[in-house]
Amino acid sequence: MSCHPPDTEAPGPSTIDLKDQNVCLVGMPNAGKTTLMNALTGGNFKTANYPGVTVSLLRGRTKPEFGASRNLIDLPGVHSVVAPSPEEELAVQVIEGKHAKVKPDAFVLVVDATQLERHLKFAGMVARQKKPTVVALTMMDLLPRTRLVVDPARLAETLGVPVIPVDPRTGKGMEDLIGELDLVTRGTSVPYKSNALAELPREPVAAFMQVRNLLRQSGSVMHSNEADSVTAKIDSIVLHRYLGFPVFFLVLVSLFAAIFWAAAPFMDLVSSGFAMVGNLVTSISPDSVFVRFLAEGVIGGVSAVAVFFPQIMILFFLMTLLEDSGYLARGATLVDRPLSFLGLHGRSFVPMLSGFACAIPAVFAARSIPARRERLLTIWILPLMSCSARLPVYSLLLAALLPAAALTAGLSLAAIYISSLLVGALVAGLAARVFLKYRTPSLLAMELPAYRVPRMWPILKMTWARGSSYLQRAAVPIMIVSAVLWLVSNFGTTPERFIASTPKDQSFAAQVGHKMEPALHPMGVDWRVGVGLISAFAAREVFVSSMAIVFHIENTDDDEQIKKSLLEQMQTAKFPGTDQLIFTPSSITGLIVFFFFSLQCFSTVAVVRKEMNSWRLAGFQLLFYTGLGYALAVITVQSLRAFGIA
Amino acid sequence: MAFGHTSNVKAENDNRFHLEGLVVAKQLSLVPLASPFRIERLDGPVQDCNRLLDLGVTPGEEVVVTHTAPLGDPLVIRIRGASLALRKREAGWIWVV
Repeated sequence: MSCHPPDTEAPGPSTIDLKDQNVCLVGMPNAGKTTLMNALTGGNFKTANYPGVTVSLLRGRTKPEFGASRNLIDLPGVHSVVAPSPEEELAVQVIEGKHAKVKPDAFVLVVDATQLERHLKFAGMVARQKKPTVVALTMMDLLPRTRLVVDPARLAETLGVPVIPVDPRTGKGMEDLIGELDLVTRGTSVPYKSNALAELPREPVAAFMQVRNLLRQSGSVMHSNEADSVTAKIDSIVLHRYLGFPVFFLVLVSLFAAIFWAAAPFMDLVSSGFAMVGNLVTSISPDSVFVRFLAEGVIGGVSAVAVFFPQIMILFFLMTLLEDSGYLARGATLVDRPLSFLGLHGRSFVPMLSGFACAIPAVFAARSIPARRERLLTIWILPLMSCSARLPVYSLLLAALLPAAALTAGLSLAAIYISSLLVGALVAGLAARVFLKYRTPSLLAMELPAYRVPRMWPILKMTWARGSSYLQRAAVPIMIVSAVLWLVSNFGTTPERFIASTPKDQSFAAQVGHKMEPALHPMGVDWRVGVGLISAFAAREVFVSSMAIVFHIENTDDDEQIKKSLLEQMQTAKFPGTDQLIFTPSSITGLIVFFFFSLQCFSTVAVVRKEMNSWRLAGFQLLFYTGLGYALAVITVQSLRAFGIA
Repeated sequence: MAFGHTSNVKAENDNRFHLEGLVVAKQLSLVPLASPFRIERLDGPVQDCNRLLDLGVTPGEEVVVTHTAPLGDPLVIRIRGASLALRKREAGWIWVV
């Protein structure tokens, strides 16, 4: 070859611009893709959503020390292309170049060294695309725990693709991986003699046979079918006939403890922080309607969401921790029998558990359930799980119902929580049989990954990515709803003119409340409670603060003070123009029943609509639960009164 | 569905039954824990069996039932170096010798 001046370099493969190329991380679940993503991006990734699909992908850019900055996309793991879940379907679409938005330029194929047969069989599908591909061989550190032997260099020769052993947990092999990726993308790598991986048959039985032959040629020893020694030991306890459930309940109790007690101080911090900002804004110009709108409607609305943020972050953190350690799949295995009887899936326990914190992350968590029918049913019952927004409402109502009996109130609260789970089970079982014609469950075939000590940094990054994605998606609808509700409860019309900042009993909300009176009387309450119930659709706990507003409680700085003076007001509140008390044992019980069932959360409705891509379903769910709550509240109040309990 | 169980007791320690083709296949849901078996065939809903095949549950492979969940269902099986949780119903589609 003659030398040529550098400025007239011929356009060739080496001029391919690597910058901004889309590199997709693909592989089977639990291969270590997300850990690799974390190592390659330096933790700089976030979840990205695409219109039309409910699956979110992780996107990030390669760290600067890895040369040209490329887009990294972590595709959901694929178990099988047969009867794929939505996540698997999306990954397959992208791999095959059929996705409208995500076009891969190169693949990093993440392959678990301890499960070469299954992972290489999947790899065949990726290699068939004839795109630049590098195999990242993970879990090499687990090999000493087993009797397996893998030689990456010989494996590469046999398969016809570069194979780079990596340990994303320590960062080992990252430079090699990127270097090799540069070479194959530019087309300057030394070609392999074989093209075996790309020529794997599509038919699974033949493909597995071929993979085994290739592995034999590459000198890998894959004769062992035993779990690694650590996994085998832990499973002998976790799946034990008598110890399995005690361990499971211990895990659940710790989760609950963390969500409710550990989060409490942070929640107080957030709520007092927002109260301070609100007061600060109000102090600018206390009489201005706009400033009050900003402080109460907008900031108050954000505060209503943000107060649950610590709790949800802790939830995401612990769920990611459990998932990464490998325990989650075992938990799902333990409870699959009762749940599949109800038409749910073993994995439904994760969203159900999350539902006790908040239905919104719970709806997202339902994505891990492969079959649509089971996912639908799980999402259907999530609003019944006693979310933490109900807690302030229940604590107010129970304090009003049982003023001098803290212990009884506490036990009643526990009973409400347990009942919400049991009623959820009942509704699921009935809905599965009535609406979904449930006969047989869809295939479980759930992989139980090897146990690994979770790495904190990637988990924290993942928690942050999920948490901020939650905030973005939940905050906007809640803010809008809260702002609108503030406007309707602070503005109104009188016969003469439109008045800003009308007294509470003449606002639009009060007018709606008055119109609703015929419907509210059977529940044993008046229009003021109706205003509280309407405003609770922004978030259930708003019921407390809006009750404080309609019952003219001033001094809104201290939550305890509000509750105390509100309780006093409630004890004496009477129906206008009569001596009849509003808050009697029967009407309070009715309200508790209403909050137990009713889907008073527009954010949940919005999220379910998006997740299931159906307004009809989300609307039906809203009407079903709110109608059910109302009907059962009326029945409760009327039958209590029939039995002589006022 | 319900054929093939009658002679599996007799097969114990009887050399004839270890010859190819004479061994009576059993359902994976009914075999004892921790003993290796070889998959003979899958017999169940087409879609589900195709997914099982794709996951590596293929005829000729060695399979071990390693655990039974405390409530008796699902089972945990070991195949191709992976642990899979399968419901008894699904394990019943897998005939082993």
